[in-house]
Amino acid sequence: MLDTVVIPLVMFLIFPGVAFLLAMAFFLEWIDRKTVARIQRRYGPLHTGPSGILQPFADFLKLLQKEDIIPTGVDKKVFILAPILISALPLTALFLIPFAGPSALVWFEGDLFLIMFIFTLIVLVVFLAGYCTTSRFSVIGSSRAALQMLGYEIPMGLAMIGPALLAGSLSISGIGQWQMDNGIWTVLLQPLGFAILVTCMLAELEFVPFDIPEAETEIVGGWRTEYGGRKLALLKLGHDLELVLASALITALYLGGAQQIWIIPSIFVFLAKMLLVTLLFSLLRAVFARMSIAQMLSGMWKYMVPLAIIQILLIQLGIGG
Amino acid sequence: MTPRKDTVGRKTTSIPVGPQHPALKEPESFTFEIDGETIVDVIPRLGYVHRGIEKAMESRTYIQNLYLAERICGICSHSHTTCYAQGVEELLDVKIPDRANFIRVIIAELERIHSHMLWLGVAAHEIGFDTLFMHSWLDRELVMDLLELISGNRVNYAMNTIGGVRRNISDDGGQKVKDSLADVEERMKHYVEVIKTDQSIRQRTKNIGPLNCTPAADLCAAGPTLRASGIARDVRKDDPYAAYGEIPFDVISYDGCDLFSRTLVRCEEILEAIKITDYAIDNLPEGAIRVRAARKVPEGRVVSRLEAPRGELIHYCKSNGTDTPERYKVRAPTLANVLALGNMLIGGNVADIPIVLAGIDPCFSCMDRMAFVDTKSDKRWTWTQEDLQRYALKC
Repeated sequence: MLDTVVIPLVMFLIFPGVAFLLAMAFFLEWIDRKTVARIQRRYGPLHTGPSGILQPFADFLKLLQKEDIIPTGVDKKVFILAPILISALPLTALFLIPFAGPSALVWFEGDLFLIMFIFTLIVLVVFLAGYCTTSRFSVIGSSRAALQMLGYEIPMGLAMIGPALLAGSLSISGIGQWQMDNGIWTVLLQPLGFAILVTCMLAELEFVPFDIPEAETEIVGGWRTEYGGRKLALLKLGHDLELVLASALITALYLGGAQQIWIIPSIFVFLAKMLLVTLLFSLLRAVFARMSIAQMLSGMWKYMVPLAIIQILLIQLGIGG
Repeated sequence: MTPRKDTVGRKTTSIPVGPQHPALKEPESFTFEIDGETIVDVIPRLGYVHRGIEKAMESRTYIQNLYLAERICGICSHSHTTCYAQGVEELLDVKIPDRANFIRVIIAELERIHSHMLWLGVAAHEIGFDTLFMHSWLDRELVMDLLELISGNRVNYAMNTIGGVRRNISDDGGQKVKDSLADVEERMKHYVEVIKTDQSIRQRTKNIGPLNCTPAADLCAAGPTLRASGIARDVRKDDPYAAYGEIPFDVISYDGCDLFSRTLVRCEEILEAIKITDYAIDNLPEGAIRVRAARKVPEGRVVSRLEAPRGELIHYCKSNGTDTPERYKVRAPTLANVLALGNMLIGGNVADIPIVLAGIDPCFSCMDRMAFVDTKSDKRWTWTQEDLQRYALKC
């Protein structure tokens, strides 16, 4: 009973399952906001909880209480379903990440492809979420999101394949295990792939310089212009979970995963690495200006795709492989 | 503004930018016809912040109008009062003391510094570079503090009066201004360096919003917008007012004709303004700061102009021998620049709309003063050029 029901249930619902992941989502949002604020010589969240640590959660609760509006003329089914999918998809993907110890809650040979598929699916839902409304800002925002995906999807996929070739496994847990067995981080062997993956993740997360689909000064709220209340809360939660997913995936693929260092439990090592990746994201998003969609696409195809292919070639030639 | 020929007949989408839009800090409406991501046409519609200030001025005394003129614009409030006071002083044939002229210059240049820093922040925000936005606005606080130190107010300084200025600058205060400005200068030099070298800023501003020399002159563009198109025209140099004739300074101009040049012109004007302020404080003449002026203004007409942070500002006043003006007219620099906007925008990208709009440093509440709404019949109309001419001649 205990082994078959209670422990799996606790693992799925509490640790390292839903409750843990939600807490991480709010925590990383706080880290991100605070870092960016400090870089910009602001204070960032300050009042809710110590140093404003509870602010993201308070924002979430506040949005939940707001009136839930469905504008006339929208495709109701998609409009209601999209926020749920946008928060559920990254959560699903997070179950595939080995947070504590060598293997994740769910893992199988080929789950790396599932993760890639989920990343694409998120953008597809974003596209639908904007397109199902009648707002011109949303439609432009969502078409930009789809266009942007055409730019970064291929280099991102190639950058994820690099570690898989190295470890000879198509499972994220397998790649983590290989790094632990060999005592080396993939980033040391394939720095190029790491840089490409970080850049593409910035685009996936719609962070500056790739916040083109929600460019506030151009198209108001972008694809999420029409959403409010509960739905906006879910969209924001989905974005936070995506941030967790992005940093966790980079940690698992490139930064050695959940290894145990000295007597520090592996989960803390993993979280510390995730934190570093989040800090990297925050730093990058604070030091750039937004690109325009044409610049972004040509940049991705001119530089990122060839670089990603070069990285794969290098691995095939036995360099960093 | 006519759409380009090759796009006529193609299906376009119209995007409203304004009257409520995050790219605009004030309500004004621009309707963009876009084809994909390319702008085909732009239709500005002005008049959302018309406040009837000119009419109100006709029913108040000259002293009361000082405070009304101050409130035409929130950023260049000192420019408007200076322009107003200059005009009325000319009608009264009053010569104000030298010290007052120098103090007017000091305040005007401090205002130019904080206005341009505000613009830099807004422009950075428009291209999604919020870090520069936050940094430049924090540094702007130094200048705001100085203005508060001198005048007691951060925004509407109420320094001018007819016949001089209302507050003096002490030696101690002058030293504080110089110390603080040294910090601002250091920061600004850093920003100029960042703007010149940062790839992502260059990408978003170089060759964006082109306005060549000829159309700029033809469309009567003014201020930094004009000076970034290679025409070094500045009222401070061409027709010196206040103490500008006695202060050495350079007119900054660039000939890139794009946003990059407009940014550099403004940033370097800040450095130049710091030099002017330092010089004015060092050479502040002794003496009174104001002379008494009569309440009633003899009959006459005057056009007064000066270089506001955004460009050439023109005030027209017609007096009739009483203590209230008979007719008052303000031409704010934004109105001069708004025509050039169409030229800059058509053929550009949707992504460039906010930054090009912000590129002229628009101040719509300054500008809006020519739309009519009859509240009884809900009838709305605007005046054509002929109507305006007829009205001007009638007065």
